[in-house]
Amino acid sequence: MEWNLSGRGTDRSSGYQYHYPDSESLRSRTSSHSYSRPPYPPRAQGEHSPGDETGEGVKALRELPLCLAQKRILSKVSQMKIPVVTKWQSWKLSKSKSMKKLGEEVKEASHYLKLWRKALLKIGENGGEGLFQWERTEVRDCFNQGKQRLVIGTGRRDWERGEGGLVALLSNPSPSVSLPCSLTPLPLSLPGPAECLHYNPSPQGLVYFYSYLLDLLSGTGFMELSALFYGYYQNSEVGVSSQFSYNVPLAYLLTCLFYILLSLTWIVLRSGSGFKLAVVTGDGDLSSYSMSVFCGWDFGLEGEQAARLKQNSIRYELQVELEEDDLRRNAASRTLAQRVCLYTLRGVLNLLVVGLILAAFYCIYRASEQSSILQEDPSVKDNFFLLLLVQYLPSIVITAANFLVPTLCDIIIRFERYSMTMQIKLTLIRLTSLGVLLYSLWNQITCGGEPHESACRPCEYNYAQYPANSLHSCSQCWETRVGQEMYKLMIFDFITGVVVILLVEFPRRMLVDHCSCKPLQLWGRQEFVVPENVLGLVYAQTVVWTGAFFCPFLPLINTVKFILLFYFKKLTLFQNCRPASRTFRSSTSNFFFLLVLLLGLGLACVPLGYSVAVIHPSFGCGPFRSLRHMWDVVPQSLTSLPKTAQSFFNFLGSQAFAVPLFLLSCLVFSYMAAMASVYGNNVAQLKAQLKLEGRDKQFLVKRISELTPANQKKSAGPSGSVVDISETRELWE
Amino acid sequence: MGNKQTIFTAEQLDAYQDCTFFTRKEILRLFHRYRDLAPQLVPLDYTSKPDVKLPYELITSMPELKDNPFRQRIAEVFSEDGEGNMTLDDFLDMFSVLSEMAPRDLKAYYAFKIYDFNDDDYICKSDLEKTLTRLTRNELTPEEVRLVCEKVMDEADLDNDGRLSLEDFQHMIARAPDFLR
Repeated sequence: MEWNLSGRGTDRSSGYQYHYPDSESLRSRTSSHSYSRPPYPPRAQGEHSPGDETGEGVKALRELPLCLAQKRILSKVSQMKIPVVTKWQSWKLSKSKSMKKLGEEVKEASHYLKLWRKALLKIGENGGEGLFQWERTEVRDCFNQGKQRLVIGTGRRDWERGEGGLVALLSNPSPSVSLPCSLTPLPLSLPGPAECLHYNPSPQGLVYFYSYLLDLLSGTGFMELSALFYGYYQNSEVGVSSQFSYNVPLAYLLTCLFYILLSLTWIVLRSGSGFKLAVVTGDGDLSSYSMSVFCGWDFGLEGEQAARLKQNSIRYELQVELEEDDLRRNAASRTLAQRVCLYTLRGVLNLLVVGLILAAFYCIYRASEQSSILQEDPSVKDNFFLLLLVQYLPSIVITAANFLVPTLCDIIIRFERYSMTMQIKLTLIRLTSLGVLLYSLWNQITCGGEPHESACRPCEYNYAQYPANSLHSCSQCWETRVGQEMYKLMIFDFITGVVVILLVEFPRRMLVDHCSCKPLQLWGRQEFVVPENVLGLVYAQTVVWTGAFFCPFLPLINTVKFILLFYFKKLTLFQNCRPASRTFRSSTSNFFFLLVLLLGLGLACVPLGYSVAVIHPSFGCGPFRSLRHMWDVVPQSLTSLPKTAQSFFNFLGSQAFAVPLFLLSCLVFSYMAAMASVYGNNVAQLKAQLKLEGRDKQFLVKRISELTPANQKKSAGPSGSVVDISETRELWE
Repeated sequence: MGNKQTIFTAEQLDAYQDCTFFTRKEILRLFHRYRDLAPQLVPLDYTSKPDVKLPYELITSMPELKDNPFRQRIAEVFSEDGEGNMTLDDFLDMFSVLSEMAPRDLKAYYAFKIYDFNDDDYICKSDLEKTLTRLTRNELTPEEVRLVCEKVMDEADLDNDGRLSLEDFQHMIARAPDFLR
């Protein structure tokens, strides 16, 4: 390092010139670097404007790459230059300073409120950043969703407290029951046929003791009559005062829509930053080696074991990259015969994979059908375990498919010799298994979309499947039935998670630790693979979104489930697992996971939209029982608004508004696309320019070094530098 | 908030707050960590600005740095004398840059200095090789090391002078979202 001994230092990075005594010049670290241009744009300029002393000045000072002593001197110097300010400006300055201090105090205090901060830090220390990010995704996911729903759901619940005594109320709320709030049922616009109106889910006759447990696990019986499910809500208005009443059906529909919109907004906002990253690092393939070398090390890691693991994983990554390069070179040099062979192999394996997926779908479909048929079988009803098994049959089959199909596909894919991108397709498989379940439910409920089939004719949905006298049927309230299926899926997901941890991972660790036979040691401890866990979360969240309309408290239960699952997974992570040998690049994958989450939301909206707009709501239960379609409550309520509001909403829904809006969006979209291509061109040009300037610099340096020895023969000492500069000037001219 | 501590004067604490990314509490906590490394050397009263340096071995025995393969370079880069012996100022500076709140550019700057083993303001091939061996604990074969170094040079060296300058490094870091830790 050259020490600056002259006592007058020019710190190029800040643009300041200041004089500091010799002792301090020894400490200068930055003045030894001879850069052709300063790496930092000078932020704190020599002239102060009054605003500089506040946030910007301080911010700039912190971010300078100087040692603390120099920064202190800088701040003293800047403070000595007292700017001439008016009273108003100085008041503003002092106020902004105190606001900043207040902001910092608030941030410190809110630090304690951040959920699971310590747990996440500990995980990050031991397992590195990928896991840290995963946990954070899960935390944020469940909390945001659950919080929203809790707020919304509780609000609605309060209004129905008046109905607390009416838990067993049937289709016609009797006005003779006295209530704290006046409860007026909305008029039945369509008198439904008698057989459709009957809805009595409460158990009749002798009730076995285990039925309560069964009800808890499958949402029937006493659970069905609670606010948990759609069927509980009445199509009533709760009168608050003489002028104002709370319209329950409208509230129900709008709450659900608002929840979905909120989730959508939140996902889009979060993926906004990830999307920018994904675009910027779009050509990440071209710099994978430099990334591994320079960005591979996690400076937050502690502990020898963690460090060694990280080193191993970096080494593994580099070796894999080298191998893949080899493969690519081989692939480019394949002969025609080899290529034909490879393509036929790939075709066959693809067919195999597709066949596997179709088989899984068929199994799920059959299981769903059989489940509802078998539930009515008398021999099954008497046996608790059989009944539970039959109730959970669709969930079991889906979970088994979700586990088996990706594993098998993984094995098959290894033969195809693709490089990595199969995760996307496997995710889609998991989500579509849910889609198949929904399809089979739809098939049963609407008799395959044929409202005139015998089973569906009177009520336009399949009421006959749920006869009134069975012990544990969901009796003619198809929305509750759908809600129950989602509820069961969620519960089963939780149970499988816990059971796998307790009964598979713990014993595996104990076996591996205490038994020293070779195959066990090769199998080794469980690896905590982050992508699979995140995809599991996405699947669970999709189930919740689908069921949110039919089972309003599902998001709340799901929040509790996620919290418990977090602690279980943390336990298994620290006790049983070794980190994955493949590193997990969290930031690029974050965007991918949010994209999949968005896909899940889209999938969940399809049955919701279909139920709201097409299927006839149940006659016997729910807040929409008097309507032709669930959506009709909105136009009905609009008629009670004043004239201008009505005409405004009518206009919004008409073509006169929709068509210009569509055209405008097309214009904006094409403008954005044009800007994007312009920026892309700019970036390419700038890159080329950088390369050119680099070459120019090299040329100049060569010239200078050629000239300097020649000059030094002419004159010695400090004036040599002066001659250099004049020579350089000559070159330019 | 009461100014109950007697370790620093108010101006000193304010100056530390302005020059680093830490709050008062964090600065005091870091001071106590610093002091715990050698209680007999570090006085409790810093108001008179004592000139105390902790030797390199003590600094690198901290759990945060103990297993870091680059601990020697980190200590050298952030210390005044370039040997790894740190004063409290250097200590605070080091943790300020390594903390979450430091911006990416600042970290990139210091990362460049850390990876530049021979301090010539360029990361040349030998610097890269040393980085790589420390990263992988000597477990790559020399052939692999050579290949990887070549590839890194190809990818990151924009001006084609056979070594990475700070601009090349920063340009590459700009495309790396994972860099922040």
